[in-house]
Amino acid sequence: MAYTRKNVSKLTRSERRRFVEALLKVKRRGEYDDFVRMHMEYNSPDGERGLRTAHMAPSFLPWHRKLLLELERALRRVDGSVTVPYWDWTRDRTATSLPWTDDLMGGNGRRSDRQVMTGPFAYRTGHWTINENVTDVEYLTRDLGHHSNPIQLPTAHDLETALADPVYDTAPWNSTVTKGFRNKLEGWGPGRGSASWRNHNRVHRWIGGVMVGGASPNDPVFWLHHSFVDLQWTRWQRRHRDHRYLPAEQPGPRDAQHGRIVARHQRLPPWDVTPDQLEDVSGIYRYE
Amino acid sequence: MVPDVDGAPVGEQCGTPAEGGARPRESTRREVTRRLLVSAVGVGLVPVAAACERRPSAQDDGRRADAFDETYRGRHIRGIEVHTGRRAAAGRWQVTIDGRPLHLMRRADGSWLSMVDHYRSYPTPLAAARAAVDELGPDGQLRDLAPGPMGGAPTHGGGEHGVHA
Repeated sequence: MAYTRKNVSKLTRSERRRFVEALLKVKRRGEYDDFVRMHMEYNSPDGERGLRTAHMAPSFLPWHRKLLLELERALRRVDGSVTVPYWDWTRDRTATSLPWTDDLMGGNGRRSDRQVMTGPFAYRTGHWTINENVTDVEYLTRDLGHHSNPIQLPTAHDLETALADPVYDTAPWNSTVTKGFRNKLEGWGPGRGSASWRNHNRVHRWIGGVMVGGASPNDPVFWLHHSFVDLQWTRWQRRHRDHRYLPAEQPGPRDAQHGRIVARHQRLPPWDVTPDQLEDVSGIYRYE
Repeated sequence: MVPDVDGAPVGEQCGTPAEGGARPRESTRREVTRRLLVSAVGVGLVPVAAACERRPSAQDDGRRADAFDETYRGRHIRGIEVHTGRRAAAGRWQVTIDGRPLHLMRRADGSWLSMVDHYRSYPTPLAAARAAVDELGPDGQLRDLAPGPMGGAPTHGGGEHGVHA
């Protein structure tokens, strides 16, 4: 039977505790760092050669959906009642609102070194040492709102701009496309100025610290963020029932994107699963 | 003009990252570098920029190189562009922060990003390097991560980790 992913604001005290404890246990077992490592490995941008699966590509959504499912499976092996909640950043919008409480994600980083000092993932608790990283910093860092030049979280209007686009994605299927639901949600704009990070990207930016790097899953809020991003895909599907993941077929051999993206029925590395198989997950989980 | 590096306290040592006038889209790196310098002129930062950036130079082995070498927020950042023969258009930058390699990657629009700051991109390698310094914080040093088969960080492909379906 399908399980339910809830808005983090709807979790009971007990559900919060069990979610956090499951994360800590998966971390203690060494499994958590595998997810961080995988995210670091599948981070090729579109100006480089080779296949892109996780970012700047149509499979941004199914790739992260699968990553979340795998993390969630690890959590549920520890505690079968746990699911990954989502953080609706269009509603909970400040550095002191959910999920930045001491019984969930903990608070902002301190000013001097951005080290998170509160909550279950603070380094000093001894339970959350960062092992896989692009730097040698072992403590969790955040800079909520980017204090030196504040930015705002995306708004419901920003999200609506993405949801309203009936086309899933469009050529050239990378970070330069200005049309299509996928990149409007992933959030790559022109390379300059604050408009260059939108929706998904902008949230990473707003959180700051490890969340802006390739090792972003080191901050457990990564999962709450991507649960909400994943929910948007579900909402988009519901709104545009005649539309599906694109491209349906691999671009031709003369296309610059040939072999660089995953088409609907192609395997999505590193897993043996296709975007087609990940489009309908209603048999696994639903959003409340 | 507000600098586009997220308002980090830019240019403490070497002036504003002069991406204001740089338009990376469909530009070659040399054009970008030229615009960077032109842009610096435009905002009156010539002495600062000149003090911080080496102009393009020729190397003994015939490769052409653009380079920068500066201290930014107390960090020593160096970068050199290496063109190799006929594949000059595919020139790469070798960048270090305090002597440790910063693996720069490209976006399709010609802009640059690193694993330290991966959810936006910058018009020039210098701007991307400074942004990486901003994100390193006071204590951080880069780990030496060789580019992996997917262009990401560590050098082993899918198939060996514990999170398979």
